[in-house]
Amino acid sequence: MAFHKRIATVSVFILFLIGAFSVSTRTAALAVTSTSTPFQPTFDPTRLAQPPTVMPPAQADNGAQAYWSMCMSCHGDHGQGLTGEWRASYGDEYRDCWQSGCHASDHPENSFEILSTGAPAIIGAGKLARFANAYELQTYVHEKMPFSPAGSLTAEQSLELTAFLLREKDTLPDGLTLDSINSSAVSIHRKTTVPGSEIPSALLMTGILVLAAVGLASRVNQKHNLPKNRPGFVYHLHPPRIPAEQSRFWYTLGTGGLSMFLSLVLLVTGLLEMYYYVPSPDQAAVSVSIIKTLVPYGNLVRNLHFWSAQFLVIVMSLHLLRVVLTGAYAPPRRFNYLLGLGLLVLILLLDFTGYVLRWDEGVHWALVVGTNLLKTIPLVGDGLYRFVMGGGGAGPATLIRFYAWHIFGLTLAVIILVTWHAFRVRRDGGIASAPPDLSQGQQWITRFDLVRREVLAMVIGIIVLLIVSLVIPAPTDSPISSFSSMAGSSQAPWFFLWVQQLLKWGDPFWLGIIIPIVVVTLLGLFPYILPNAEKNELGRWFPRGNRLAQVLTILLYVIILVLTFLGAFSSTG
Amino acid sequence: MSMKSELSRRDFIKLSTRTLLGLGAVLGLGGLIRFFSYEPDQGPPTVFDLGDAGSFPIGSRTIRGEVPAVIINQDGVIVAYSLTCTHLGCTIEKDKESIGFTCPCHGSAFDETGKVINGPAQDPLKALRVETSGENRVIVHTE
Repeated sequence: MAFHKRIATVSVFILFLIGAFSVSTRTAALAVTSTSTPFQPTFDPTRLAQPPTVMPPAQADNGAQAYWSMCMSCHGDHGQGLTGEWRASYGDEYRDCWQSGCHASDHPENSFEILSTGAPAIIGAGKLARFANAYELQTYVHEKMPFSPAGSLTAEQSLELTAFLLREKDTLPDGLTLDSINSSAVSIHRKTTVPGSEIPSALLMTGILVLAAVGLASRVNQKHNLPKNRPGFVYHLHPPRIPAEQSRFWYTLGTGGLSMFLSLVLLVTGLLEMYYYVPSPDQAAVSVSIIKTLVPYGNLVRNLHFWSAQFLVIVMSLHLLRVVLTGAYAPPRRFNYLLGLGLLVLILLLDFTGYVLRWDEGVHWALVVGTNLLKTIPLVGDGLYRFVMGGGGAGPATLIRFYAWHIFGLTLAVIILVTWHAFRVRRDGGIASAPPDLSQGQQWITRFDLVRREVLAMVIGIIVLLIVSLVIPAPTDSPISSFSSMAGSSQAPWFFLWVQQLLKWGDPFWLGIIIPIVVVTLLGLFPYILPNAEKNELGRWFPRGNRLAQVLTILLYVIILVLTFLGAFSSTG
Repeated sequence: MSMKSELSRRDFIKLSTRTLLGLGAVLGLGGLIRFFSYEPDQGPPTVFDLGDAGSFPIGSRTIRGEVPAVIINQDGVIVAYSLTCTHLGCTIEKDKESIGFTCPCHGSAFDETGKVINGPAQDPLKALRVETSGENRVIVHTE
């Protein structure tokens, strides 16, 4: 830092002039020891002036101050590097930067030698070519700069310096504060345009849909003029009429239909994400960041995908609970109950694979732990692990495999099972209800009213999803740099927290593999081994016939919930 | 309330609900178009630094594949023609016998100054903007 005392004096003078406040402690120490010497610089000394302070300072303004106090002595006032012309600004005895040994604040004791290649130019056409995005530059600055002592900058300072460098190169996006996540979406070499806020249009959409929902709600249960033509495709997918009893909201809770709706939202938003997501280890987190930061409405699409997936797990769990607590899985619906259980398992796998696709520090340890769990299975474990990972460890092949499972393999299985599940609902006589001869004066609703209710439920669903997506963003983290270093959260995704909590208590094979399998198997066996509800008990909550299954299921749910809460509040490390 | 006004109220609600749903759909479609407006790729470069002007002596005809273009020094003036066929964009090849060019895709033929000799191409080869920078380097712009 102490390049020349005269220059330091000039700096002190300018400091007084502009009333600077944000001077680093090193510069302050420099100022105290300054005395004047007869050195005449060969260029205009105002080039050494501290950059003017801006109130309030933008990120790049803070970076400009940091650059001036820490980087400029070697990298030059225009980022030209340690050129001869630049060294001419130093005093005679300091000009040979390779021997003067002055490169420390407490020179000469802790001085250091600088590289014989000097300090490179960092601003100008073609400079910083080795870095693709601001995240890479920021990481380099954070780890390697200043030259001595390297790594002494805070993450905040390295981001500010990155913003400053981008502004000097005229590639800093307008109105974007760089952080460890969005910086990977920002190119260093071309100016990135950041789309405007998605909030106004999303709110407009919400408003329109709220009005439409009011209109739809006022028409539910209205007499419908039967259309002259035969019913169209959407109507045809529904039975001509269903007993009003089967469509009571407080009986079904609408969880089955809601699950289908959420799956549709997931299908559409997932398709949209595929247009920008890149399934390679060095590009995955960057492309997620690009979707979030640069693609118009990309953040909204991603949030919708994320929240639909979270809600789907909850809604499906409630659907399962509803079916058990109303005894609805009694024959002939036993098989369809198994299909539904299979769908729940598939959706959990889809959630996990989708979670891993972020390939950032937030999913890093969940991936490592979740897949290593497979190795604990006797005999087949190792082979299963290699099949899942596409090799002996997490790498490019792993990401491609998770991607293939997520976007096609598992999704295809879900589509087939959902179709089968819905078909079986109709084949098994609709939603479980008491036999017609027992319900006196039975009322019916037509498929037209049914479709109207479904549209209303979907519109309300979209409204809720839009609002949640606007308020709570889906999580992101910085890209995974190495699989050998520990960074980021080691917490499992919330739907596997209960397993993570179990794993703390002992043998991973029994607690992490056998217990979840036993839970699913037990749930699947209930209709086959425990007493079922009688026919005339169907269509209402808590029938006597399958009380035992009800109690056991509630017990399972409570245990899983307690474990989840334990896992959520104890495993932060 | 008469039967007639009851019906029209219902029709009104029906119409406005459908209009609102349609409006929502249009808005969503607009958002979709905006969503796809982002371009992750920068596109190919349009400026090429072909090095020192001395490597293009008077009378020489040099093919540079990275542009692709043929660089011709006509009595000290450097001109460049794009080697992208004006028909459907294949890269044309130098003829073995003559100094013209032929497109391998559909057989369009061009003479040494880029004029069409044989179809299906209609337009002559594009003359590229060439500038010589201060350090005597040849810079070619494809746009």
